Amino acid sequence: MHPFSLFRLWLVQIRYALTRELAFRANFFAWVIVELSWFVLQLAFVGVVYHHVDRIAGWSRHEMIVLVSTNQLIQQIFTAFLMPGLTKLPELVRTGKLDFVLLKPVPPQFLVSTAQLEIGPLANAGIATLVTGMGLHALGIVPTFASLVAYLLLLFTGLLVHYALLLFLVSLTFWIVQAESVLLGYYSIFQVARLPREAAFGWFRVIFTFALPLLLVANIPAATLIRGMEPGPMALFLLTSLFATLFASLFFHQGLRRYQSASS
Amino acid sequence: MISTLRALPTVFSIGLQRQLAYRWNYLLRALFSAMPLLVSWVFWQAVFRTKETVGAYTLPGLLTYYAVLLIVESVSSPADDDFQISREIREGMLNPILLRPLPYGIYRFFLFLAGRCAYFTAAFLPVVICFFLLSRAVPLELGNLDLFRGLPALLGSALLQFSLTLCLSLTSFWFLDISALIFLVYSLEFLAGGHVFPLDLLPTPIFAVARLLPFAYEYWFPTASLCGTLSREAWQAGLCLQFGWALAFLVLAHFIWQAGLRKYTAAGG
Repeated sequence: MHPFSLFRLWLVQIRYALTRELAFRANFFAWVIVELSWFVLQLAFVGVVYHHVDRIAGWSRHEMIVLVSTNQLIQQIFTAFLMPGLTKLPELVRTGKLDFVLLKPVPPQFLVSTAQLEIGPLANAGIATLVTGMGLHALGIVPTFASLVAYLLLLFTGLLVHYALLLFLVSLTFWIVQAESVLLGYYSIFQVARLPREAAFGWFRVIFTFALPLLLVANIPAATLIRGMEPGPMALFLLTSLFATLFASLFFHQGLRRYQSASS
Repeated sequence: MISTLRALPTVFSIGLQRQLAYRWNYLLRALFSAMPLLVSWVFWQAVFRTKETVGAYTLPGLLTYYAVLLIVESVSSPADDDFQISREIREGMLNPILLRPLPYGIYRFFLFLAGRCAYFTAAFLPVVICFFLLSRAVPLELGNLDLFRGLPALLGSALLQFSLTLCLSLTSFWFLDISALIFLVYSLEFLAGGHVFPLDLLPTPIFAVARLLPFAYEYWFPTASLCGTLSREAWQAGLCLQFGWALAFLVLAHFIWQAGLRKYTAAGG
């Protein structure tokens, strides 16, 4: 299928999902508050730890705020556009409703990933952007145009890592009947992304840099804003995230072969 | 009364079978629950690179707190009891339960107990492996564990978490979807409950306020009791507050249930 057709289809899906979301406005505001409370929790943790120390692995309090809020920004964009669809996959497989997806003349991975949208997280992405800006202001940093463009590209690369991890986890549903705990797994594993890269060591650092580059997801974009562009780590981030996405996609298709329709 | 008591082992058994039907889901959940401990280890060893102590904690002391927290969580935290109760009310599955001579709260409590037993069994091996691996890297202070103070606090934590969950879930009589409310309370439990960091790392005035809230008695208090870091007076006062909060939520749940039943419409069979 032509990429432009997929893009048009995605826009249609967004319009449909937006209409559905706006029908439940109270729910929208409730989720904005929920997500905000989790972000406040992370910032409170930073506040408590820096109440006792000045620097952690070379990161000052405001640098850590930029790191945490960058991570939040990527996570919220992911939660808005891709996560709602992916988390529905276990239910689709269990109930056999994946049949309706497979019958459509569109790549199933695309349909599964983009079928849903939540607009609440976008409001929180705005708040995360604001906190990032405040962190930079406190550090006395005014990012250049080039570093801002690089930051945006790196955010997109970070989205790929989120996508790869969750796609891999939800694809386990083809082997395990009830795989609701994979969402817990996603949130548990993604705590790694909030760590300063320099804090990690040994096999932990190797695995979460090269195999599943979670240590790069927020670190590289945040470091780009704070310390400027570093081509080496940026290239590593791009390569590892592309590889992770490819691997997850292959795993999804491998799982799809095991799918047994519930209706036939 | 006797028939109610006779039914309880059956309810427990049904709950256990229901949980064990999805063994892989459980095992995955147990494995993932060890991840925060790993992240805490990496993060805090970076914090302790420049300092010997943070608050009253050394690195082994702090990691012992997180490791014991893992046990507290596996023993006392409800899994998806809140969503199950909400579904039972919303989808009318309450009808057959209402016909039975068994109080709903007791019925749910035994399902909760079964869930905790199943989860603790599934989580036991991953937790032991975690402890073993972590103790090879950091000398955990497991020799100081105080079971005499820890076990009553653990029991109180389970009762408190169950009663709070019951209160929240029963609001489903009025609201179509309570997942936002549940996740909002989760975040409060994580922050003010001592799940993200031990509450005694908070600045003193904030810590004093946090100790009055019920959340502190869900995670921080049982964990600190087990770790043996509380004085006798602090433990006694904490236990009174913990059971006091649990009782208050149970009474509240009773009133919510009574009010909810007046609103509930049973349709179908």
